[in-house]
Amino acid sequence: MLGKLMKYEWKATWKLLLSANILTVVMTVLARCMVSLMDQAGHSDFRMVDFMAVMVLFTYVGSMFAVCIGTTIYLIHRFYTSTYGDQGYLLHTLPVDTHHIIIAKVLVSAAWVTINIVFIYLSVIFLLATSSEILHSMMEGMVDVIEYLGAEKISLFTVVMTLIAFIFSIFARVLKVGACISLGQLSSNHKLMLSFAWYVGIYVVEQMFQGVYFAIMVYVQEKASYRSYWSYGSYFDNQWETTLLAAILSCVAYYLLTWYVMDKKLNLD
Amino acid sequence: MAPVVQCMGLTKTYGRKIALNQVNLNLERGRIIGLLGPNGSGKTTLIKIMNGLLKPTAGEVLINGQRPGVDTKLRISYLPERTYLQPGMKVLELVQYFQDFYPDFRVDRALDMLARLQIPPQERLKNLSKGTKEKVQLIMVMSRDADLYILDEPIAGVDPAARDYILHTIVNNYNRCGSILLSTHLISDVENILDEVVFIKYGSIVLHAGAEQIRQNEHKSVDRFFREVFAC
Repeated sequence: MLGKLMKYEWKATWKLLLSANILTVVMTVLARCMVSLMDQAGHSDFRMVDFMAVMVLFTYVGSMFAVCIGTTIYLIHRFYTSTYGDQGYLLHTLPVDTHHIIIAKVLVSAAWVTINIVFIYLSVIFLLATSSEILHSMMEGMVDVIEYLGAEKISLFTVVMTLIAFIFSIFARVLKVGACISLGQLSSNHKLMLSFAWYVGIYVVEQMFQGVYFAIMVYVQEKASYRSYWSYGSYFDNQWETTLLAAILSCVAYYLLTWYVMDKKLNLD
Repeated sequence: MAPVVQCMGLTKTYGRKIALNQVNLNLERGRIIGLLGPNGSGKTTLIKIMNGLLKPTAGEVLINGQRPGVDTKLRISYLPERTYLQPGMKVLELVQYFQDFYPDFRVDRALDMLARLQIPPQERLKNLSKGTKEKVQLIMVMSRDADLYILDEPIAGVDPAARDYILHTIVNNYNRCGSILLSTHLISDVENILDEVVFIKYGSIVLHAGAEQIRQNEHKSVDRFFREVFAC
């Protein structure tokens, strides 16, 4: 049943979200064309082409933000309406396990967030690569980074684990939203407002934990030698382990919260 | 064989408000049962608990001897009082959806009923009128061979002609081995199809009897009797 749930979740979301990502591509191409035009025109006085290029670049930046925020809002809206809104009456009377419902929604949402991030990264790289100077600088920068990583003995394992930690962080963010929406359903009134309050509350607690963690880290590093603290190798090694651990713990906690509300405290009134 | 529904001391409260109060109820198989009561009497709360959409504060409900869960959802066909369809879906996609999730769903029956109502399978649900959406939903629910059909206010808010169609669809398409629990406050429209009636008032069951038994003992229609019991 998990596969079927995922299929219908994907079918319900792909049109709008793919359109948003196509908008990213269109705006990138447009912005790149305008920057190229501006470059070819040389550095003379301010002309119409410069004005248009600036306008297009502003629109480009605005559309990138809109796509990011729009995707997030749409996924939150979709989770809420299909789970606790009217459509929840169908979802929760399907003969499927609650775990499957949560997993299907989280996997599809995380997939869209990842697609969104990849599109925007590629878009920025594509745009910056317009100018041969910028492209050259980027390539040099990449070579420097690779050389530095090699010098600091950052292994492929560390790079892969950092990537895995990043993916788990995406899952944690998606699950956090799901958990907050679910916790808001425990009340009979003002469910959405309470969901938001839960989100803010959890965010504050997370920041406190992070603050305490960094304070401890600074204290520990002060005790250690200056060189070992600023070694990129040790820095990266510490980073992925901590990020991965925090993301996994968050995933487990938010998943269990969502499952508990959906399975034991469902309240579609 | 065990009753299809068993409620034992079922209670549901919202804060201080009691929506269901110690409900004890057994519903047998092969019957059409009217769950009758005025607005706010607890009909929908009882139905939602049977479907696992609400959790009881106390007591227990068993469907086919099991607590609400995946197994009971396989055997219950539920029509809520609201539209639960995804607006972007086409009618045919909805048929496919039901077929994918419910093994007892009969595609041929659904397509036949849609054709009779001249509802185009390729039409998107958002383009249909409210009344047509409700009919599509009813067709999906009645195209299953379930043990228990739970229909919450299926004729509320529709014109008399549509009511006739809905009741006709219900009576002609349900699994004869199963039961129908039909909640409504429009008694006169459904009286003729009911085998049993359950009167619910302020969250408590005040009467559970055969429809014919009421007519014989009280010498009046169920509708008339209902009006007396629930007179303000």
